[in-house]
Amino acid sequence: MSSIRVKDLSIKFRIYHDRSPSLKDYFANLFKRQRQIAYSDFWAVKDVSFEVKAGDRLGIVGHNGAGKSTLLKALCRVYESSEGEISVDGRIAPLLEIGAGFHPEFTGRENIYLNGAILGYTKQQLSVIEPEVIAFAEVEEFIDTPVKYYSTGMYMRLAFSLATAMHPDILILDEIFAGGDSSFMKKAKARMYELINKSDIMVFVSHDTNLVSSLCNRVIWIDHGKLVADGAPDEVLARYLAGRLND
Amino acid sequence: MKTSPPSFFGELYKRRNVLMQLVSQQLILRYRRTALGYLWTLINPLLMMSVMAVVFATLFKADLKTFTVFLFTGMIPWNFFSSVVSQSGSSLINNEGLIKKIYLPKVIFPLSVVLALLIDSVLSFLALFLIILAIGGSLSWAALFIPVAYLLLFFFALGIGLITSVAMVFFRDLQHVILIAMQGLFFLTPIFYKNEALAGKIGWLVGLNPVVPFIELFRAPLYSASLPKSSVIIQALLLSLAAISIGLLVFRRHEKKIVFRL
Repeated sequence: MSSIRVKDLSIKFRIYHDRSPSLKDYFANLFKRQRQIAYSDFWAVKDVSFEVKAGDRLGIVGHNGAGKSTLLKALCRVYESSEGEISVDGRIAPLLEIGAGFHPEFTGRENIYLNGAILGYTKQQLSVIEPEVIAFAEVEEFIDTPVKYYSTGMYMRLAFSLATAMHPDILILDEIFAGGDSSFMKKAKARMYELINKSDIMVFVSHDTNLVSSLCNRVIWIDHGKLVADGAPDEVLARYLAGRLND
Repeated sequence: MKTSPPSFFGELYKRRNVLMQLVSQQLILRYRRTALGYLWTLINPLLMMSVMAVVFATLFKADLKTFTVFLFTGMIPWNFFSSVVSQSGSSLINNEGLIKKIYLPKVIFPLSVVLALLIDSVLSFLALFLIILAIGGSLSWAALFIPVAYLLLFFFALGIGLITSVAMVFFRDLQHVILIAMQGLFFLTPIFYKNEALAGKIGWLVGLNPVVPFIELFRAPLYSASLPKSSVIIQALLLSLAAISIGLLVFRRHEKKIVFRL
C-alpha cells in the first residue's frame, strides 16, 4: 500500500540581497573578521506535518507563494528538506511540469524516449506505450519531425500523453488541466480522471476550489509555509474562502 | 514495509536509462542534419590531425612519422581532459531547467558529459591509428595498453569534473578562471615538446603538473613502443584514485544544496 508521511518538514531558501557571491567575495570574506551577511533565510515551508494513506485524494490550497509548489517538489525529491523528514512509499509520478526535458532539436519519437527515461520509464515500457502515446497526442504525421517545429498545442499534447501514459501509485498534480483545443481537453480530462481513479494516492494543488472539492476527499490549507487547516474539503475550503475575503 | 532511499550508486544504476539517453543526446546532436552525421566525429579529428601534423612537422623540421605520433599521443588525452574539466563544469548549470522540475541523481549530468567526451576521444584515437598506418608507421603490442590508459585518465578527469561541476554552481566566475587555467596548464604539459625540454627555471612546474603522467601513459606505448614505466603507472593510478575519491566526496556532500543555488 502506498503512503506518504511528512513530519515537521521545513524548507529554507536563502535570498541573496546583492548578487550571487563571486569567488572574489568569497576569498575577500574569508579574511574579514566580521563577515557581512548579505543574505537572509526564507522558510518556504515551515513545520508541516501530515500523513496520506492509500485512497486519499489530497487537495492543497493557499494563496500565491504560500509554499504549495515547494511542498509538492519536496514530495518529488526535487528539494531536499532543511529540517524534518518525508517518507514516500510507492511509485511516484511527478506531473509538475509536463514537457520538462523535451529537447527542441529532437524529433517527437526521440523525445518520447528521452523524456520517458527522465520520467522513469524503462525502454521496454516505452516501446510498448509509444504507439498509444503518439495516437493519443494526434501527432502521427509529425512524429519524426523535431519538436521545435511543433505548434504549442502539438507540443503540449505530446508531453501530456507521454506523462500520463503510465499509471503511478502516487499522483502529484500541479494545475495540470491546461492546453490543447476543446476536443483534446475533453479527451485529456477523461484520461486524467482515469489516472486519478487508478492511483492509490493523489496530491493536487490548485486555485480552482470547485475542482478541488470535486476531486478531493481531504484538503489542507497552507499559508506562509505553515499548515493552517487539514480536514474535509467543504469545511477547509469554506474557511479558506472566508479567510481570503478578510485579507 | 518502509523503503529506504537507495544508495548513491544504486540510484545511479536504477536511472542508467537516463544516463544513456543523455549521452546519446550529446553524441547525436552535434552532427544532426548533416549528410555524414556521426561519421564527422571520426572525420573531424582525422582532418585536424592531418593538417596539424604536416604543418608542425615542417615547422619544426621533424620527421613527419614520428612527430605525428608524438604530437597526437599528447594532444588527444589532453583534449579529453581539458574538455571534461570545462564542459562538466557547466553541466549542472545547463540542466537547471530539468534539475528544478524533476528529481534525478545529479551525478548523471557531469557523468553523461564525461562519457560522451570519452567516446569522442576514443574515436579520435582510432583516427590516429588510421593515420599512423596510412603514413607507414607501425603499431607494437604495447598499443594494447591504451585502454588501461583511458581507464585511468577517465577516473582522473571525472573526479576533477565532479568538483568543477559543483564548484561552478556556487561560484559562477569559475568558468572564466577555468578557461585561463586550462590554457596555462596546456603550455605546462609536454604536448608540443618533450618532457625534458622545459627544464631550467620553471621545470619544477611541469613536475607538479598532474596531467604529465597521464600523457606519458598514452605516449610511451605508441611513440617508444614500450609500456610506460611502472613508476609512471603507479603515479597515474594514485592520482586517479585520489581525484575520483575527492570528486565523489565533494559531490555527495554538496549535491543536495545544488538545487537551491541554481
